[in-house]
Amino acid sequence: MNRLQANICLICVTMCWSMEIVIYSSIPEGTPAFATTCVTSFAGSLLLLAAFFKRMLAALRKNWRSLVTGSAILALLNAMYNAMFICGVKSFDITSGAFTYCMVVVLLPVVLLSLRRRIGLETLLSVVCVGTGIVLAVGKSLQGEQLPGLALMGGGNLLRAIFIVVLADMAKKHEPLAIAIFLGFFVGIISLVVWLWEDPKLIFGLPMSRTLIASWTIYSYFIVAIAQAFNTIAMSRVTATNATLVYSLEIVFSIIWGTFLPASLITPVDLTPSVLLGAAFIILGNLMEILDIRGKRTEYESTKQEVKR
Amino acid sequence: MKRLIIRFFLLLFVYLVVAIPFKAMNLIPGFSDVRPVCALASIYGVFYGPLGCVVCAFGNLIADIIDDALRWSSLAGFSANFLGPFMIWYLWKRFGKHPFALRTIPDLLFHTLVIVLGAILEASIITPAVAYAYPEVNAKLFAYSVLGNTSVFPIVFGIPLAIVLQEELGFSPYTEEKLEKKPE
Repeated sequence: MNRLQANICLICVTMCWSMEIVIYSSIPEGTPAFATTCVTSFAGSLLLLAAFFKRMLAALRKNWRSLVTGSAILALLNAMYNAMFICGVKSFDITSGAFTYCMVVVLLPVVLLSLRRRIGLETLLSVVCVGTGIVLAVGKSLQGEQLPGLALMGGGNLLRAIFIVVLADMAKKHEPLAIAIFLGFFVGIISLVVWLWEDPKLIFGLPMSRTLIASWTIYSYFIVAIAQAFNTIAMSRVTATNATLVYSLEIVFSIIWGTFLPASLITPVDLTPSVLLGAAFIILGNLMEILDIRGKRTEYESTKQEVKR
Repeated sequence: MKRLIIRFFLLLFVYLVVAIPFKAMNLIPGFSDVRPVCALASIYGVFYGPLGCVVCAFGNLIADIIDDALRWSSLAGFSANFLGPFMIWYLWKRFGKHPFALRTIPDLLFHTLVIVLGAILEASIITPAVAYAYPEVNAKLFAYSVLGNTSVFPIVFGIPLAIVLQEELGFSPYTEEKLEKKPE
């Protein structure tokens, strides 16, 4: 898989994630969020396990301790940053909130530099471009009382940046599909604990219906199984910064869904000039990274550099 | 022959596992729904050739039966779901500069074009049949839903899936030589 192909997979992953809110809206009211995360994580993980059982066994035989521990750490980081996002995003309207998710693009180079890793000039330019896009979109509407929420989002994004760096490193050392399977499994366990704490009746306390099962199945296929598998596979081929830049497209997809899908599925997006300009900068930053305009970058150059370090 | 039959049922099983849950997302009740399973059409066409196309046709028919949506227009659906993936496979074989691979931007654009042509073919087979047999159905909306299902999903999900299957999981595109090399 070359860089272009890996980036296409990452774009698909980002689009799946951006659809999460649309799928969530079809889940019947009264279903706890942790129930959805628990059931879909286990189901997605089982789907991948059924398809790639041999690969997982081979990966376990190679170095099971590092694989399992790493996946558990990733799941924990995932749970922590998601909890911070859930609390932090309440301070923002839907559009600004979506932009704050993308702050990870700006924070990731900080994490990489603190780990003494090199970042290419083109990548840095892309980061600046995407960062400008986020500031343009959110900056104007930011108010004093939103600062605690912004701090939570910043903290969540910092954890997410660490998650991405760890995932990118792990995907280059272990079988990516095995990581996806274990990550789903551990996320399922963490959500099960919280769900049990919230409602000990678990699945028996839920209003089971065909719609709920269909929504959970769709969620398991796309958000967990496909997105997680594509993500880890692509991560084994690109750098953490590259992946994060592509993730920033989530805001562009969200704007598209918010503009074109009915209000019953997603909160309509307020398309102000600053939002449009911000989205344009994010797309430009992504194009600079994905298309390799100067053509000087070899396919795995950056990846090899990162692994060596 | 035995291998072909086993492969047919295995592919059919995968098709149905993906197709059935989405039967809850109706666009025109009884006629059209959101069908991400259409992403498999291009995959089956490219990697399994005519056998994959037959699976698509039967898979769609069985999904219609399960959803209690079997109508006369399902016959048109059956042939369209065979011809759509077949066209994708055939156009790659006939006009592709090399065996199927999505490694460069021109290849990706060509594959996208091929998928869109396949989608137009499917819409132009099913829509007249539905419009003729069921005049109460909004034919324009129906045509858009078929066009959307058979182009958006194969492009958005089918292309990355084809990349992963070929580059990472070792699937090779269907060629007639492949069959000749492995006589049953």
